[in-house]
Amino acid sequence: MRAGNLADLLKKGDWVAVSNITGREASHVSAVSQKYCGNISGGWALGKGGQKIETSKGDIPVFATFEELFRLTPPERLPNKILVYSPPEAVFGEVKEIVKYGEKIVETIFIVTEHVSVEVTAKIYQICQQANIDVIGCNTLGIINSHDQVRIGAVGGETPEESFRPGSVTVISNSGNMVGTISSDLLSAGMGSSFGLPTGKDKLILSPLKELLLLAERDEKTKLIVLYVEPGGTYEHDALEAIKEDGLSKPLVVYVAGEIAERHHISLGHAGSVVEGSKSSARAKKQVFDGYFGIEPFRFEKKYHRGPVLSASLAKGIRVQALHHIPKAVTLIVSVLGMKKDFSSSKPLRLNPWFVSLGELGKRLPADLSPSPGIVPEPYGEQVNEQSKHLLTGMIRQSMRKTSHASSNDGVTPRIYGYSLLDIMKERSLAAALILYWTGELPRDKFEERLAEMTLMAALTNGPGTISAQGAKLATSAGNNPNTAMIATLATMGLTHGGNGAKAVRFLLDSFADLEIDDPYREYGELQKLAVKTADDFKKKKTAAKEAGIEYERIPCLGHPVFRHEAVNYDPRERIIYSYIKESGRENVFLEFYHHLVLALKENGSTAVVLAVNVDAVIASVWLGICWPQIREKQMTITRAVDISFIAFALGRVAGGAGEFLDHQDFGTEMDMRIPVKECRTLTSPRKL
Amino acid sequence: MALRVAELTFLEYFASRYNIPVPRHISGAAEIHEIKKSLEGWGGEAIVKADVMSGKRGKAGAVVGVKNLRDALREVKRVSSVEVNGKMPRTAYLVEKIPAGLEIYTAITYNSAFLGPSLTVSLVGGVDIEEVEEDKKATIGINTYDGLDAYQAGEAFASLGCPKDLISNMSRVMVLFWDLFISCGMETAEINPWRITPEGKPYACDFKAVIDESNYKAKVPAAVFPEYPENISDFEEEMAEWSAASHRGQAHVSSLEGTKILPLLFGGGVSTIITETLEAAGGSPIFLSDFGGNPPYERMLGTARICFSHHLARAKLLLILGGKANNTFVDVTFQAIADALISYVEENGPVDVPVVIGRGGPRLVKGLLAMKQALDYLKLPYVIFGPDTPVTMVAEYAAKLVNGIVRLEEV
Repeated sequence: MRAGNLADLLKKGDWVAVSNITGREASHVSAVSQKYCGNISGGWALGKGGQKIETSKGDIPVFATFEELFRLTPPERLPNKILVYSPPEAVFGEVKEIVKYGEKIVETIFIVTEHVSVEVTAKIYQICQQANIDVIGCNTLGIINSHDQVRIGAVGGETPEESFRPGSVTVISNSGNMVGTISSDLLSAGMGSSFGLPTGKDKLILSPLKELLLLAERDEKTKLIVLYVEPGGTYEHDALEAIKEDGLSKPLVVYVAGEIAERHHISLGHAGSVVEGSKSSARAKKQVFDGYFGIEPFRFEKKYHRGPVLSASLAKGIRVQALHHIPKAVTLIVSVLGMKKDFSSSKPLRLNPWFVSLGELGKRLPADLSPSPGIVPEPYGEQVNEQSKHLLTGMIRQSMRKTSHASSNDGVTPRIYGYSLLDIMKERSLAAALILYWTGELPRDKFEERLAEMTLMAALTNGPGTISAQGAKLATSAGNNPNTAMIATLATMGLTHGGNGAKAVRFLLDSFADLEIDDPYREYGELQKLAVKTADDFKKKKTAAKEAGIEYERIPCLGHPVFRHEAVNYDPRERIIYSYIKESGRENVFLEFYHHLVLALKENGSTAVVLAVNVDAVIASVWLGICWPQIREKQMTITRAVDISFIAFALGRVAGGAGEFLDHQDFGTEMDMRIPVKECRTLTSPRKL
Repeated sequence: MALRVAELTFLEYFASRYNIPVPRHISGAAEIHEIKKSLEGWGGEAIVKADVMSGKRGKAGAVVGVKNLRDALREVKRVSSVEVNGKMPRTAYLVEKIPAGLEIYTAITYNSAFLGPSLTVSLVGGVDIEEVEEDKKATIGINTYDGLDAYQAGEAFASLGCPKDLISNMSRVMVLFWDLFISCGMETAEINPWRITPEGKPYACDFKAVIDESNYKAKVPAAVFPEYPENISDFEEEMAEWSAASHRGQAHVSSLEGTKILPLLFGGGVSTIITETLEAAGGSPIFLSDFGGNPPYERMLGTARICFSHHLARAKLLLILGGKANNTFVDVTFQAIADALISYVEENGPVDVPVVIGRGGPRLVKGLLAMKQALDYLKLPYVIFGPDTPVTMVAEYAAKLVNGIVRLEEV
């Protein structure tokens, strides 16, 4: 390897570039990393150049390619560490580009991607070796250097500082998750970590254990090494052979997983765990470590007698048979070898149930099986208190006869989703109150509030000839009360008139299914491509249906009976909302997509003119934008999002219907909606019984 | 993601395409007169083999020599139903018997010692390579970009003292073998044995390979890989289909034939050690599972539904356990499990299975509270742990708890 010690893989001052940084996982992990250590100088993603990843520590610039990133990044921030999050088929190309442009600057590539073929992995190893670049992976989680408080990738999850406190243990693991779990457990033994390094678990691990042990040996802060090992490969045998030659002054504590797979003749989820050859089996790995240590595996209940024999063995290390015995085994080694603990205080690992409800069963069980609830440690305790308040309302199916999430009244204050209606009346708008009542959350900003308000206004009317306005007028003409006229307005809406917005929401959700949209109000470069594909798919379906002589499903909310005679058509109500969005310096990806789509449909010959994106489309787009974060977080059902779009139109129009009622009642003549007999035509000849 | 290839596919598809010399063969399902004609053309003798996805066919009696049509027809029927290492054959076939004075072992595989492909050869063929002494086999690394050259293969054979008149022929077929290996996206391939005729001509007389399905070459050109009977349960089959439907989030299960704990586990590494801990502590897990990889809501909902529909009715305890997740959103996955559980009860009526939960990771509290709420609603007994209790301790507790419950039931 190029690295001479573990810090060469990652230390303070290193700069990191992230491939495919706009992807769901990469952008999230990068934002957390940036908050933790701020070591990401930029990222790149094909077709996404010019975008930014917003983080609490400033924006991360996104470039179109690695070459562009390298060319435009200031020399003092040029990345020497690369984190690859690209899809499997793109990984080889990314590495070749990194090698080509990053030569002599890039030192290490961490490849997170799963399912990279073994052939490509071998090729990556070969070209990177020639370019003097170390590769960790594929399928690694990254690395963390606890002393320097820097990380690459998702090691430590959302709160790396929780599990990785500076100390003297390096954890090397075939499993990414285990690095955090073991480091966290070690805190109970008063031991912190120096490095956490998940190697990945593909068939070829490009940072073999023998080389990593050498790096750990040279790392001054590492006093002890914990290994989490899975079946597959001969890395451990090779490492122990190398140790026999070169020696290792630091004790190892080893956990070998996976014997269950051999026992049951099953292959584990990890690709590298397919057992080939006796040396790669879990059993063989256990044996080779036990042979090296010269001591039987750690036994929790055993009383170890100190002496030169025990010291000599523990100086090499010991294997544990249960993961939670690692802290105990480390404690034994630290004590027998006279090493120093990293922290004076330690808290032994124990069962600490946070919530217990065993009911009648608990009374019948022995005491040790029926524990009492323990103390929820911070910061979780506070979170439990805070979140319990909201969750108590329950989002599960139950009898709703006397129950509501949406409203409450304690005899003093009527509330909407917990917010005082009185406060809302004083401080917010009708639109904000409606967003809250329909989605359960207040609007994120004034922009959303104003958009919602505009959709309600746009729905008010499109003149007295609309079906719903006619409904109100008919009811008025018959001498009905206002509520009946309003009901008539609602009753004359249906799938074709008013319900098209609901169809639009379903259409948009289907169209955007494969696109990772975090923020619907941000620009996305892929919309045009998506629109062209949608238009082409539509054309194929339309052509096939026409040839078969059957009906085809039209794209909802395109075209308008009034605004349809120009080469390029617009619905003026849609224009107002569209302009407001643009003037606010924002986007609405769904509305933008609709505009790309009408152009693409004209382009591919599906339509003769550029159709208007009608008011139903803009209402659907606006309300889908408002609902989007909750849909993404699975906090809102699709059905609700679809219904909200319809409800928004219906509410606006029913208010319009009331306007028609008032007008018609004051100025209409009796029965004026009746069509005289002579104006009615019959299409059936008189028949005799 | 690996696809296994057995000898019959090699004979029918790969060998001719890469000019690898093989004995003539005929399907056991061929017409009697065709088999008769083949036998006559092969000098009256043949080997009947089971087409089964397992090694050690010979030891199981699924490879036998025959000398006449009557024996051939009888053996085709018999070996078609001989179980080999728990695997049922798909069919049976006959191959020409190749007279040989020498058998040779060869394999090409990606090798952790070289971090690239390697060729292993031995003049002791026809046996398990693990049983061959180290000094009787030779392994050389292969440059992934340059491929295997004949002279390199020749040197490997020569180092073992291979008769000189054979080296040329064997080196040539090794180049063909490499072409097959690299062109089809294989990650390991073994021809064992090559039977060498008295004239020095090698024939590939058995073959097995694993194709790396992550390699685009695995699909080009489109060979037909037959389906082999699998000893898998309905549960495993349904989950395998569900798993294949999307790459977003893992949905791996393997039945363990346990009877007590229904485990929904997260993380490849953690799920293995949890299951090992459960087994060691007498928890009798029903299956091994890995549902990590940040599954979206619908994915987790479907996964949990399949698990519940197959096993919840007979499980003595439901265990939902994973380490401290790095990427997986706990609230999303747990909400999905909670919803699946409620749906199950709505459709199948109440259950009284106790639930043990342990987890850490992003949006943990929201996830735990969602589960707690669902369990309270369903009136199920539960114990919920956070990441401060190690997963293996939770697993040990779950195993003890389920055994405590079983003892109560027995009383």
